[in-house]
Amino acid sequence: MQKQYFLPSSNLMGARLAGSRSDTQEPKTNPLVSISDEPETLYKRLSILVKGHDKAVLDSYEYFAVLAAKELGISVEKVDKPPKTIERFSLLKSVHIFKKHRVQYEVRTHYMCLELKYLTSSTAAVYLEYVQRNLPEGVAMEVKKTRIEKIPEHIQKPVWDTLPQVEETEVKS
Amino acid sequence: MAARAGRCCRAGLSCGALLSPALLSPAVLSRAPATPRWGRAAFSSAPAVSGREGPQAREGSVRRRGRTLQFVRSAAPPRTERMAVDQDWSSVYPTAAAFKPASVPLPIRMGYPVKGGVPPPKEGNLELIKIPNFLHLTPPAIKKHCAALKDFCTEWPSALDSDEKCEQHFPIEIETVDYVSSGTSIRNPKARVVTLRVKLSSLNLDDHAKKKLIKLVGERYCQETDVLTITTDRCPLRRQNYDYSMHLLTVLYHESWKTEKWESEKSEEDMEEYVWENSHSQKNALDTLLRIKASENVSNVTKEELLASEVVKNYRNSVIALKNEGETESNISQYKESVKKLLNIQA
Repeated sequence: MQKQYFLPSSNLMGARLAGSRSDTQEPKTNPLVSISDEPETLYKRLSILVKGHDKAVLDSYEYFAVLAAKELGISVEKVDKPPKTIERFSLLKSVHIFKKHRVQYEVRTHYMCLELKYLTSSTAAVYLEYVQRNLPEGVAMEVKKTRIEKIPEHIQKPVWDTLPQVEETEVKS
Repeated sequence: MAARAGRCCRAGLSCGALLSPALLSPAVLSRAPATPRWGRAAFSSAPAVSGREGPQAREGSVRRRGRTLQFVRSAAPPRTERMAVDQDWSSVYPTAAAFKPASVPLPIRMGYPVKGGVPPPKEGNLELIKIPNFLHLTPPAIKKHCAALKDFCTEWPSALDSDEKCEQHFPIEIETVDYVSSGTSIRNPKARVVTLRVKLSSLNLDDHAKKKLIKLVGERYCQETDVLTITTDRCPLRRQNYDYSMHLLTVLYHESWKTEKWESEKSEEDMEEYVWENSHSQKNALDTLLRIKASENVSNVTKEELLASEVVKNYRNSVIALKNEGETESNISQYKESVKKLLNIQA
């Protein structure tokens, strides 16, 4: 009997593959996986920037994200830790007057940048969903995706060669 | 005693019948735990005490506080005492949950230490509850999750193993940014920006088309890397911005192949690089050489012959190098040599 996996999300419709995966030796296929003929979009680079107020939380998250990438077979290009930014501001301590007495607050933001290389759209969707669902409280993430594409058909050749000869009209300024 | 009871009854205590035993014999009560005969609803969690054994695990003891009696509930032993060393931790913390000191068998201390003391223990420690914990993401748990997710991943095509091959087969790069943060809204207006990057060498352009495209595009073209960058954010949706950027690329491409009537008025200031043909330098060099030849009374040498001669070609190359690449040691010495050869000076 096929074991039903309890996946963290039920929105994953399944993998989309360019080719068929029926060449596996074991005949058991995951019933939740559906294969479609749509060609995959390819991501040359996935750059994940994570921002938080606590460095220890970001360090743990980095360990988790790197291990998850390794387990799913994604190559990690580098893990960068940009320096923290501190935003400070001074406010009046008292509700009324006493201008000379202020109180100062600061907000510290730590960063961690994870760069992954060469992902297909299915792998990227799986990894990003897994990693985003386990994002801790109070941590923000920015994902920069670089997709690569072929030059479309209509830019292959200049269109003027194919058009019938038309009299040149005056160019409007 | 009776008089006292009577006084209570006259005072109109509604629960006089119940309370009177307590008031009558406080001494009796303090000696041994008695069965509760009142307030069962309030003390429902404490089971009936039987016998005079000391307070045991699940039995509450009675403590006197002034005139009222309290049941002291002693807690059950924490779950950590019943945990095996080789248990399956992912069933204790399957999902993200707050820190429960009774469920985590670790002697953790956290917080600012008392003077001359140690940080507070984990029982009732708010700092440990506040901070996000990764107890549900231990390495074995991550491996289990990834093993289940592996079926949904696809492999990268092995033919594209380097950046150059990707560039060769897929020249266009589209960059988009997604934002995840906690707040009242999941939308971020910066998410609609689309950046399109393409190398002009991968487009089908001839010399004139490339120069016209560079002029049309202006600052968006980088000379060193030969990369055209188009950033669009004027539409409200990302898909619309992507379509617009592709439309811009198409229009630029086709327009650069067109030659307009007014392009013939391109002057020397508009030229991107120095062209020696039909320049003042060429005219002056040829004039000088013709006059030299005339003064030496050599038979008329045609311009084409002069242009094809070695010395003039050397001079042309050195002048072009000087103008296009700027002044460097080698350029200037090359120019000096070519002028000496041209004018036949032996210095």
